[in-house]
Amino acid sequence: MGRVKIARKSTFIDMTAMSDVTVLLLTFFMLTSTFLNKEPATVVTPPSVSQEKVQETNWVQVLVNPEGKVWLSMNNDTSADYSNTKMRIALLDKVTELYNETRTKKISFTAQQKETFSKLNTFGVPLDQLGDFLDLSLSDPQEGQDKQDKWLQGKDGNPNHITGIPISVKNDAEHLNEFQLWMKAVRMTPNSNLADAVRAGTGVAIKADANTDYSIIHMVMDNLQTINMNKFTLLTALKEGD
Amino acid sequence: MAEVQQKDSGGKKGRQKKMTIRVDFTPMVDMNMLLITFFMLCTTMIKSQTLNIALPSNEKIQDETQMNQASEDQAVTIIIDAKRIAGKPDVIDTIGGIKPIIYYYFGKAGGVDGIGADGIIKVNNLEMTELAANTGVPGNPVYNGIRKIIREKNKLVVEAIDKERAKFQREGHEMTDEEKAQFNDAAKKIRRDEKLNPPVIIIKATPQAPYGALVAILDEMQINNIAKYQIDNMSHEDTLLMLDYAKTHPAK
Repeated sequence: MGRVKIARKSTFIDMTAMSDVTVLLLTFFMLTSTFLNKEPATVVTPPSVSQEKVQETNWVQVLVNPEGKVWLSMNNDTSADYSNTKMRIALLDKVTELYNETRTKKISFTAQQKETFSKLNTFGVPLDQLGDFLDLSLSDPQEGQDKQDKWLQGKDGNPNHITGIPISVKNDAEHLNEFQLWMKAVRMTPNSNLADAVRAGTGVAIKADANTDYSIIHMVMDNLQTINMNKFTLLTALKEGD
Repeated sequence: MAEVQQKDSGGKKGRQKKMTIRVDFTPMVDMNMLLITFFMLCTTMIKSQTLNIALPSNEKIQDETQMNQASEDQAVTIIIDAKRIAGKPDVIDTIGGIKPIIYYYFGKAGGVDGIGADGIIKVNNLEMTELAANTGVPGNPVYNGIRKIIREKNKLVVEAIDKERAKFQREGHEMTDEEKAQFNDAAKKIRRDEKLNPPVIIIKATPQAPYGALVAILDEMQINNIAKYQIDNMSHEDTLLMLDYAKTHPAK
């Protein structure tokens, strides 16, 4: 009996072209991406028709959550002289100096703590707790970072751990609160590009949720006004139309 | 492609062997896809926009109010408020989830005579409006709410700027960058032209007003070509006017 033989065809699909495409896509994403910074609070910025883009370098972000907690993050120059690491350490030194000038309880940080601080993207705990906060990542950096993130989010279950930079409505230029000390230290940064940007108003950006009460925004603005930082920007999202 | 054909010609027996080396790229593609997914999820493509604001310095506030009194007839005060019940938004809106209420008055609080020291309001010149966008069709806009009021007040400036823009506009052409710069310079001058009676807008907000509404009002300043505006604190008179307004206009 003659049977019709069906030719066996290979099911091999050539993936080379596919691979080419994916590599191209991957390259595109790698080059265009700026990583999302982990932030202790998620806020939705209000829409605005303003076309001005946020600076890529040399700016300080004041993150405000609807409960009135405030965190800072500092982005410095790309040049090695004004690198994030160096400038953040300088910032911490400056704020320590300013703090010790007016407070009876003095604070100081070890070289290792400063090193840890320089790697923090967003920070914001009271200065007298900052040492403990930084020590968390001493033994195990990975686990410590998780703990730090939890602390910043206010979810680490320790009632003694306070998150957010102490800020209160105070127009007293003699007795500055910690938020004002930090902002003053930012203005005195050795990074002249950042200092210029802060003076021009583009160096300080407030990021707050559209739903936040004005009283809270007002408190932040008032604090900045007290130290004569009258120019700053508000972070907004793009709005179409109008 | 991923096949390499080898000709084996070195065989002594004179027969040629054809060998095909195929490299399977499927795992490579799999891995790339995973990486792409990772980068797509971790990136921010849209960069935030910023809105510049400058507040008057604390010491100068006194001078600032004196300055405003001088141009009283052109002063417009906008007060942003929101309706809320103990932290719970009661009216849902697109802006930040809380419906903002916008009040405004022209000139001095309480009309020409103002409010006396006894707090008795003779004339309540406070009006209520809303944040409302354009409801018209492109080319024929219809303005509502606070925008209509600001536009009316800034009529001469807006007209002059429209005229300036018409100079640069040609049929079916976008403005070149150079023209845009020229237009922007001209518009800047017009906005600050005192002959056109530009209004001075004072923006105030109650503590419970949503921050989104403040940004929306600051936007209106840009949209309506207002050069002079400032953010100020609520005064005692403003509160009195608002209380009086609530009394005379009971909620339905």
